[in-house]
Parts: sequence; structure tokens; C-alpha cells
Amino acid sequence: MNEIKKTYKNYVGGKYVRSESGKTFRIELKNQFYEVPLTSRKDVRDAVVAAKKGYTEWQKLTPYNKTQVLYRLSEMVEGNSETYQQILQESGLTKSKANQDIKNAIDSLIWYAGMADKWEQMTGNLNPVAGDYFNISHQESLGVVFTLNTEENSFNQLLLSILPSLTTGCSVISFSGDNSILALKLAEDINNSDLPSGALNILSGNFSQIIDDVSNHVEINAMAIYKDLTSSDKKIIRENASKSLKRIVIKPPTSGLESLLPFIETKTVWHPKGR
Amino acid sequence: MSLTKESKNTLSWSNTVELIDNLRVDEVGLKERVASLATRSIKKDSKLQALNYIVTMCDLTTLEGEDTEGKIGQMAAKAIRPDPSNSEVPSVAAVCVYPALVAKAKEMTRNSNVKVASVSSYFPSGQAPLESKIFDTQFAIDQGADEIDIVINRKAFFEGDYRKMYDEIVALKEVCKSVHLKTILEVGELKTYENIKKASLISLAAGSDFIKTSTGKISNGSSREACYLMAKAVWDYKMVTGFKAGIKVAGGIRDSKDAIRYLVIVNEELGPEWLSPDYFRFGASSLVDDVLKQIKKLKTNAYQSSYYFPRG
Repeated sequence: MNEIKKTYKNYVGGKYVRSESGKTFRIELKNQFYEVPLTSRKDVRDAVVAAKKGYTEWQKLTPYNKTQVLYRLSEMVEGNSETYQQILQESGLTKSKANQDIKNAIDSLIWYAGMADKWEQMTGNLNPVAGDYFNISHQESLGVVFTLNTEENSFNQLLLSILPSLTTGCSVISFSGDNSILALKLAEDINNSDLPSGALNILSGNFSQIIDDVSNHVEINAMAIYKDLTSSDKKIIRENASKSLKRIVIKPPTSGLESLLPFIETKTVWHPKGR
Repeated sequence: MSLTKESKNTLSWSNTVELIDNLRVDEVGLKERVASLATRSIKKDSKLQALNYIVTMCDLTTLEGEDTEGKIGQMAAKAIRPDPSNSEVPSVAAVCVYPALVAKAKEMTRNSNVKVASVSSYFPSGQAPLESKIFDTQFAIDQGADEIDIVINRKAFFEGDYRKMYDEIVALKEVCKSVHLKTILEVGELKTYENIKKASLISLAAGSDFIKTSTGKISNGSSREACYLMAKAVWDYKMVTGFKAGIKVAGGIRDSKDAIRYLVIVNEELGPEWLSPDYFRFGASSLVDDVLKQIKKLKTNAYQSSYYFPRG
């Protein structure tokens, strides 16, 4: 029997899409190679439109509900762990390392799932004031976040580049390069996990081709760079982003409450106490 | 066909009947032509010009039960100066409101070239006696409306009583006198292409200055096919009477790309002299936002968020 070759596609707005440019690039694993979408600038713009919609939908869910959805994602990933393991091994990891990486990834998922309804009370505050009113610092998610995955062949690192912003309620456009098979495979589990369409979008390609469009795009509220970039790339991003006051976080923390802080904003509320 | 012209731009009923008799539309050909026109590529400089055209052709519209004088004030301000950060962006053609809000809209736009259009004749259904429609229209004109958007009597149209539909438009045109009359066909309800062309020709023969696709109140709004057919009807009517009527497309046109495709249709089928707010209009509430975003994108090379443009 002939083996059916799989075509991996970008995942945007809850749909699997090819690049509108029709372009692909080749990723070679140990036993086979894949032609995956080479994301064009137009694809990025489409993803932003989808993420903008997805943000509203993701926001509508209660924090408790967000927890359930992320937990379900971990169930889906665990159910498919053999496939991830195979991809990791074909990317050059040993069996035990691949196994450990997936276990770590599932742990990360469950940890962030648990955080979804807790980070707000952990970061918010009732501020001490000298008067008859409350002063409350309340935290809100930023909006549409573009995250650039590391170059490592690691499923856990991929998730750690997505989950912090997603957990706070941001919608995420996750971009991967030569290791994007893992991310494109993850799209299938995202699709099965009740995450609203557009809340998490997966793109693959060459970041240097879209760096200007992403950093200039006014509708992207933050960029989280988990990959090592050259200083000239960082300069481009910072300069472009400054025009739209986009938040740029380079190499943000990937564990603990700290990992969520780059993606939230403080809103302070004053309220009279009354007698 | 031998024609007796009633006045400058109307036809007698008997001539109208000749015009709509045995009317046929080639559906496959129509769809192919419209699809091929949509593939025209518009490059940067032409695109900027098209976008500026679109702004000058827009009727900024709010037709909701919840409309207040405050909202009209806000919209009028946006109509006069769509993008406060860029003075090169022109004013829109008109603001389009319900009759009860015409006076306020007129007051807000008094020092500008923005016109005030009012819907009337029991928009959007048109299900009222002619006397009421006349009163409705007269009221809007007395309040200062420069343009009147009426709806055709679809009840009469579907009952086959084309004469009644024609007579009503004639009666309302008499009320309007020199005030610009736009007649809404509601193409989404007319369903077939023959109906659209027939209704277009009857409306033109009865004295409409413009024919307009939709009310924006039903889910099937404007379509490029409808616009194409209406352009054909306008052309046919010009051949018969010499009168140049205009077209207004409204309902569901939300982005610049779609709007530019409408401009291509008008340019190809009627010619560049129709690319003017005197002969072509967009009725829209959110289209302007996208056009402003695109104009700014062409200037700054950065994709924009509507968050930074005025509400309205």
C-alpha cells in the first residue's frame, strides 16, 4: 500500500490554509521531507484580521472556561504524543529526550491551564490609599500578540512561546521557521480543543521576509521574540514598533508568573467606599 | 421604437412598457464579465486615487432607531473631515439619515460642501399609502434635505403592477422637484437579474436621478452583478433619452478592495465621466474606515488599526 504524504498547512482563523502566494519551503526530517507554507506578507495581514476577531471571542470566555479549554488542549496533545515523539525523533532527538520533551510540554500546558483563572488575582492589587475610596489595580490582556518561536527542535519550547500570552487572554500569531512541523501539527490539536477560531494562529516561514510588516502593523499590540535575533533585526523591530507604541519583549521569561507579565496592562480604578 | 419624451429625463408609461418588454439577461455571460472585471490589478498610485475617489463618493450613513442628534453630530464631523490627521483626505459626498434628523444634519454640515440625504417613503419597506410617502418626503425636503432616497413599491412590483410602482415614483419626483431623487431597488429582494434590470429601467423612466441597490436593511445587500446590470440599464436609458443617471451601491460594501472593484465596473461599462460623486455613490457606514486605513497604509507603509480613526 502506498503511503499517503501529509501536506501541512498554516492554521489561521480556525482554518488550514496554504500561503496565498502559493510558495512553500522544504523541511527535511530524517525519513521524509515536507513542503510547508512560506508565509507571505499578505498571509500575515490575514492572520492579524483573524487574530483580531479571535481576541474578542477568546475574551468572551470566563477565566474558568479558559482553564478548561487549555486543559482540553493538553488532553489532545497527550493523546497524540506518539506523533509528536516521531517528529521529534526524526528531527534528531533521541527517544528518551523526545519523550522527556513531550512530558515537559504537557506539564507546561497543565500549569498554564491552571493559571488562566488565577493570574488576575495574583497580579492585581488593592492599593493602600489615604482616603475614603478604593484604589484597585486591575490587569487586562494586551490584545493581538505575535510570537516568534525558538529554533530549537523542542515541543516544550514551542508551547512556552505560545502559552504565556494565550493564558492572559491575548490572541496569538505563532511563527516558526525550520522547526515548524511541530507547530503545524499542533494546529490540529488546537482545532480540536474548543479554542475559539482565531485565538491561536500558526504560521511557518522565513521571519526576515515579514519582519517589516509585522513590526509596522498597528493592529499587532505586542511582539514576543523567543528566538535569537541579530542586533540589526532587533533594531528594525524596535524602530518600527515605536511608531505604533507596540510592546516588544525580547527573550521573555518562560516560567512562573513572570512569564505572563509582558502580556498584561494595568488599569487603575478609583471607587468611593461610601458610608 | 418611437419615443415621446415627457420632460428632460422621464418617459411616458407606454414608452416605458416598450423599454421593459421582452427583457432578457444572459446570466452566465454577466457573471463571467463581472468576475473578469474583478481581476484587474490596481497599482499603488492609481490605488491612492481610487481611494480618494471613494471617499468623495461616500454617503456616510446611519439609519437606526437608536440614532440621536449627538450621533448625527459626530457623523457629520467625520463626514467633513474624515481623517483629522491628514488634511489631504477630502470630505465625503453626503450624510444619509432619517427625515427626523435632517435638520440636525443640515445644521452640522452648513459650512461645508457635504450634502444631506434623507431616506423617505417609508424606508425600508415602503409598505404605506402613497399619501404617507408623499408626506414623509415633503417633510424631509422641508427640513432641508438636498437628496432624497426612496424605496420602490416592491409589493406592487411583485404583484405585477409595474404601473403603480412607476406612478408612485413619478408622484414622489413631483414632490422632490429639483431635489436629487435616488430610488432604491432592494436588489436582494428582487432576486432575479431580469427583475433588477426591469426595476432599474422603470425607476429611471419615472424620473429618478439615481438608482440605488439596497436599503442595507436586509442581509442580501449590494452585489457587483447588480451594479453591472444597473450600469447597463443606465447606459440603455441614456441611449434612449440622452439622460445621464447615477448609481448608488449600498449594503455590505465594507472594504476598499471591494469598493475599487465597483469603480472598475462603472469605469468599464459607463466610462470615466461616471467616476464622480455626481454619478456614482457608495452608501456605507464602515467602508470609510477601511479606506482611511488603506490611505494611511500607502503613506506610512504600516497596516493600520481603526482604533486610531474617528468613530462616526
